Amino acid sequence: MNSGNDFILTISELEIGYFNQKKISSVFKNISLSVREGELIALIGRNGVGKSTLLKTIARINRFVNGEIQINNRPINQYTLKEWAKKISFVSTDPVYISNLTVRELVSLGRHPYTNWMFSLSEKDRNIINKSINTVRINDLEFKNIDEISDGERQRALIARTLAQNTDIIILDEPTAYLDLPNRFEIIYLLHELSKNKQKTIIFSSHDLNLAISLADKIWLMEGASIFEGAPEDLVLNGTFEHIFDNSLINFDKITGQIKLIRESIDEIYVSGSGNAYIWTKKAVERLNFNISKNSNSLIKVYITEKQKKLIWELEINGKKFVYNNIYELNLHLNQIKIFKNEQC
Amino acid sequence: MKIRNSVLFTILFIVVISLFIFDIFIGSVNYSIEDIIQVFINSDGADGIVKTTIIDFRLSISGLQMQTIFRNPLAGPYVLGISSGASLGVALVVLGLSPFITENSFSFIGNTSIVSAAILGSCAVLFLILLVSLRIKDIMTILILGILFASATSAIVSILQYFSKETFLKAYVVWSMGSLADVTKSKLIYLIIFTIIGIVLSILSAKTLNALLLGEIYAKSMGVNISFSRSIIFISTGIMAGTVTAFCGPIGFIGIIIPHISRMLFKSSNHFILIPGSILIGASVMLLSDLISQLPGSGSNIPINSVTAIIGIPIVIWIIYRRKKINI
Repeated sequence: MNSGNDFILTISELEIGYFNQKKISSVFKNISLSVREGELIALIGRNGVGKSTLLKTIARINRFVNGEIQINNRPINQYTLKEWAKKISFVSTDPVYISNLTVRELVSLGRHPYTNWMFSLSEKDRNIINKSINTVRINDLEFKNIDEISDGERQRALIARTLAQNTDIIILDEPTAYLDLPNRFEIIYLLHELSKNKQKTIIFSSHDLNLAISLADKIWLMEGASIFEGAPEDLVLNGTFEHIFDNSLINFDKITGQIKLIRESIDEIYVSGSGNAYIWTKKAVERLNFNISKNSNSLIKVYITEKQKKLIWELEINGKKFVYNNIYELNLHLNQIKIFKNEQC
Repeated sequence: MKIRNSVLFTILFIVVISLFIFDIFIGSVNYSIEDIIQVFINSDGADGIVKTTIIDFRLSISGLQMQTIFRNPLAGPYVLGISSGASLGVALVVLGLSPFITENSFSFIGNTSIVSAAILGSCAVLFLILLVSLRIKDIMTILILGILFASATSAIVSILQYFSKETFLKAYVVWSMGSLADVTKSKLIYLIIFTIIGIVLSILSAKTLNALLLGEIYAKSMGVNISFSRSIIFISTGIMAGTVTAFCGPIGFIGIIIPHISRMLFKSSNHFILIPGSILIGASVMLLSDLISQLPGSGSNIPINSVTAIIGIPIVIWIIYRRKKINI
């Protein structure tokens, strides 16, 4: 591609911050990153680290302190407002609640940079709006008011608006912030689809490490004073995640890619069983801070068996046996033991 | 949707025209049919009614603009202190001069100076707001500063009132009650010119206002030049609300509520619909208030501000009560 580099976005030595009259309060320094066309990038980091500021700076909503941001090898400040609105679109965290604005009208607003002062929509504009609505699959909501639809649907509508704006780059500030788990997955998956099928370059910030690891092409991880860049798998393998997330309360599980609570075990427990029943029983027992032991000589033992197609949990403590039909009751008993032990200590 | 809007616009237009004609019949002067034809020919007697008609829709447009730009359903021409700026101007002329001149020479001050003072006052506050908005980007902070300006100007007006002579005080109070009765033909020209400028600016900014519905961040990302469009919108609001206040006193409440009625009626947030909608609804409400304020037969005029409030507020309370919420 042009001048031998195929990056659509390059950030070099960027310093971001806030301007307060003559004082500048710096938020983050030495940011150097690059993005290829059609990549899905997840920006991860703790609250207050400057994710939002970075995204707004790239979208040219905030000014930057130092350094350079280039889109298609052209510094962003050289774009006119109109050219810019055709390059990058933005979805902010601010909730949008307006009565009397339909989903279709919201999506149409994306045509703002392409229309005249009367906002007259041509046949082409209308086609693009229809396509955008189709792509995010909200056709049945087209004429509903945006304060009558769910948060997930509203987020889709806002993404459709960016599609109507027809920009190469889409930036989203915490698009999954107010959503439940299935909706979070669907929104990130939608972004994944857009980047793969429509060649959109998408940068979003998120706290959903799991989803980001499984769907993003690249992760930008902001932590302390440094920003780490790489495929999620690379960051797992080279120990960046472990380094960042491990502390006294939680650690990063290299196998599942999940953050786990560190538990202080008070006792060992032997669990015998197989399949899903074993996995979930283990989880339930671990919740009560028991350590799973491979030693069948443990004082506390649980045997999972199946009788007449029904699961049965047999708890053995010091030779005494108790039988339970579900994990809930098993845990009630184990919890009693735990409380008893704690009192003795 | 489109058919529904056209029907609504047609109905509203007919309502405005009928009220307009009705108002001429019942108006403070008793016209005969020949007079009415005369009225349209030399437009001498229709002045007051023309004025009445255009006053209110300007307030409603400026209310609409303020509500969108501040994303606040309570915003109106008052919030930026524009109306209070005008009051301060008038108070300075009417009350401030009172220690220096005799009551006999009061007519010397005259209407013209009252109007100019009001326009100057509102422009001064507007200029202050513009200056502030260049420095402070946060629109909510500007809103609060506007409210503070308004309070400060009313405080100065109160002090002036305390120290002024009765005659002057009455002149001020009459102005502030929004008398629509005395407009001369020359003043009407200014009113019409300012109105046209204000409306043209507001229609030019309709597209931007639509983008601003989502907030300034979204507007900016869609290519809107925030400082520039904010200035245009403030100037158009200032011109419209300022001249209304200048000619008719601080007419309250209407600027806030007509945009809401317009939104509810047209079920839209689109300013290309809401601006003409507010014009027609505002004009009909004001004509109706004028009709009532003239109390046919009694020959006396009630202050129009009180009339709009008395007939308007119950309607508005009923609408809000039915809808249970009010929103942009």
